Amino acid sequence: MDQNSVLLSIENVSLSFGGAAALSEVSFDVRQGEIRAIIGPNGAGKTSMLNCISGFYRPQRGRILYDNHDLTQTPNHQIARLGIARTFQNIALYTGLSTLDNLMAARHIQMKQSSLASMVYWGPAQREEVEHRRVVEEIIDFLEIAHIRKAVVGALPYGLRKRVELGRALALEPKVLLLDEPMAGMNVEEKEDMARFILDIHERRGATIVLIEHDMGLVMDIASRVVVLDFGRKIADGLPDEMKHDERVIHAYLGQE
Amino acid sequence: MNESQTLPQHFLSQVRKYGRHKVALRQKELGIWREFTWQNSYEQVKHFGLGLITLGVQRGDKIATVGDNDRQYLWAYLGLLSIGAAQVGIYTDAIASEMSYVIQHSDSVLALAKDQEQCDKLLEIRSELPAVRKVIYWDERGLWNYDDPWLMSFEAVQALGRDMAEKEPDRFELEVALGQGSDLAVLCYTSGTTGLPKGAMLSHANVLATARVFHAVDPRLDTDNHVSLLPLGWIGEHVLGIAPHVYTGLMLNFPEEPETVRENVREIAPEGLLYNSRLWDGLVGSVQVRINDSSWLNRRLYQWFLPVGYKAADKRFSGQPIGPGLRVAYALGDRLVFAPIRDKLGLSRVRAAYTAGAALSPDAMRFFHALGINLKQIYGSTEVTGGATVHRDGRIKFASVGQPAPEIEVRTSPAGELQITGPTVFQGYYKNPEATAAALSYDQDGRAWFCTGDAGYVDEDGHVIYLDRVKEMLTLANGEKYSPQFIEGRLKFSPYIRDVMAVGGPNRDFVTALVIIDFENAGKWAEKRRLNYTTFVDLSQKEEVYNLIKEAVAQVNASLPPAARLRRFVLMHKEFDADEAEMTRSRKLRRNVLYDRYGQIIEAMYNGQESVHVRAPVRYQDGREGFVETSIRIAALGD
Repeated sequence: MDQNSVLLSIENVSLSFGGAAALSEVSFDVRQGEIRAIIGPNGAGKTSMLNCISGFYRPQRGRILYDNHDLTQTPNHQIARLGIARTFQNIALYTGLSTLDNLMAARHIQMKQSSLASMVYWGPAQREEVEHRRVVEEIIDFLEIAHIRKAVVGALPYGLRKRVELGRALALEPKVLLLDEPMAGMNVEEKEDMARFILDIHERRGATIVLIEHDMGLVMDIASRVVVLDFGRKIADGLPDEMKHDERVIHAYLGQE
Repeated sequence: MNESQTLPQHFLSQVRKYGRHKVALRQKELGIWREFTWQNSYEQVKHFGLGLITLGVQRGDKIATVGDNDRQYLWAYLGLLSIGAAQVGIYTDAIASEMSYVIQHSDSVLALAKDQEQCDKLLEIRSELPAVRKVIYWDERGLWNYDDPWLMSFEAVQALGRDMAEKEPDRFELEVALGQGSDLAVLCYTSGTTGLPKGAMLSHANVLATARVFHAVDPRLDTDNHVSLLPLGWIGEHVLGIAPHVYTGLMLNFPEEPETVRENVREIAPEGLLYNSRLWDGLVGSVQVRINDSSWLNRRLYQWFLPVGYKAADKRFSGQPIGPGLRVAYALGDRLVFAPIRDKLGLSRVRAAYTAGAALSPDAMRFFHALGINLKQIYGSTEVTGGATVHRDGRIKFASVGQPAPEIEVRTSPAGELQITGPTVFQGYYKNPEATAAALSYDQDGRAWFCTGDAGYVDEDGHVIYLDRVKEMLTLANGEKYSPQFIEGRLKFSPYIRDVMAVGGPNRDFVTALVIIDFENAGKWAEKRRLNYTTFVDLSQKEEVYNLIKEAVAQVNASLPPAARLRRFVLMHKEFDADEAEMTRSRKLRRNVLYDRYGQIIEAMYNGQESVHVRAPVRYQDGREGFVETSIRIAALGD
């Protein structure tokens, strides 16, 4: 697939909860290998959009096309198998498990041996486990979390938990990575680290990234293209530089005077 | 071949001895300790060294190196030494301008920079470094999209070396054989607190001498493990890790990440290690915290056996025999409490642990010895290739920094400066003959003595006592010198003393001190003895408390030269207070303010009065001002 081919296409997606419309007629596409940012004020529907892509929510109208599948019709455990992984705005990890176990747990969808064979832990089952451990260790190295490999996740500081969550998403070896505010609540240094990891994932692992972020400076720095939502509608779509000067975007962010 | 004189010559003889049959080093990667034999190491070193020749490096060239401790650092280091080049170590946290100065001043022709972070700094100052032909990196992470021809990978250098090895199979061995002990091995830039850093020139013979003399004190065996955790920009890791590695076959272990060092130390459980005194102090605290968090039974066992450990340690310090009862109790305590704690700290196999830097408090020292950890003080400097003095087994003195290592001599100059001679004395500062001349003094036998700039003396048992930097020393009216910081620091080792100001100066004949008791600890001590007290003033003026502090002062006096001993002190009626500008917010004394405010008390101590009446202004927290009137006793001590 070449750089400009469309990997994920969102077509006229509308989602409402009862009478409240969360998304109305939103369309945009994500190209192979880009970092696509979704920005917008609070309640603009950014997380809802991500939830539709990952199959968490089912939009009432519209389609989300990915690799010959309409994701709105695909059971959400299938979506992960198709190569779409996500992180959450509010971290969702097994807080009682270690970093290593959290990442290994994410590998289960790749495990092919039956549970009986795994229990005996012999032959192919053992080889498979070793191989998964290798993949996970590479991610641990990549994200520089070796020092918390055996630490219980619940006891880790927030910035590190965010990194572990990113690691878990990577353990799925995704083609598309959905990141919901990966830098929320971080200090400047942690944000810079996270931005570097996102760029490294993009560069090194070739993952396509869809990113929700509030920090405009950061979005402008790392995103290839930006889509702007406001009250569930798409109000702008284009290059980061264009967005900076777009009347509608400024208006949505600064409000009416 | 003759006796090995250089680090690479020793390295080759170990390679011949152990080859593929013994592990030379390990590095933790992806959660697993990977092992490398001497033969693996040999090929890596050889190909890197020959690659450098292809890049035009000549014997005597300098090569700057910056990076975390890892196997490539070691191989690059041994590789460049093998072909007669010298290494210039740079700390990983050096900022670009510092790097620029060191690289330029050392005339480095190449820079070895581990990763993106270091390469970025070099790229930033590239225009200032015309002499640097290439920058060689070995962690390519983040450098994937750099296509600057100035940068070159470690593997690419080795590929050049492999080509040369095919054409000239003996070249590497020939290069190594050309080395001489007097060749420059390391240029170690010392971070002077004033002025620009100076590059201390250390030869192969210097580095090997330190390894040899320390081996004589605490032997390092080829079955021992060393965890490489000290920054390689500092000479310590060279003489405790790399030099013993090639000298005795000590196995090196490189941590996974700088952040995982503590965990990795525990996994390896090395036979020897050096932490600075701050880290040891921190460990005391963390053991106590962990014990408090542990089960009721563990806490009780700890409380029960720790005094047994202290008793045994004190007997050992004072050279008394340990009786059979104590021996049995200690063995039980070791099983139940001490061994598990040592294991948690990664010190289960340690035969000799070292502390360097500021003096470690006797309490911390006793604590580790009570746990069965043979902790010793080291003293030295870059100019004498690391350590010069060290405590010997069973001869630990809290006040001393140990005895001179074999082949090393320490003397005190008439001005009270410690001077060191021996095979470890450096060759001088690079391109700085004035500083070299000031640092070295030659005796009638032509031996070079390094003038440390440290004040101290050698006591009757041959222990070296370090006081302070010479320029921090003050003079008394009779010409004797003393160090207020040393006296204050040592007195504060007492748990009952919170603050001290030592008083003296050119118009006084002896040293006195204003002492602030630690209200909480002294209060607890008084309660245990059913001593009634009401306020701080009341407690501080109790005769019993005076006697308690007098003991602490007498102990400190014993470690001081007679002229610098405290003759009088008072226990102050109030604490020094930052709100009254008596101290800075970081609790440093404002000496002039204190001299002014307590002049009357100070005069009384020198007038030989037995007590002094004070009417001191105090500012209350709400801003009101008032006065405290009280009488303060003055304690006097004999010689």
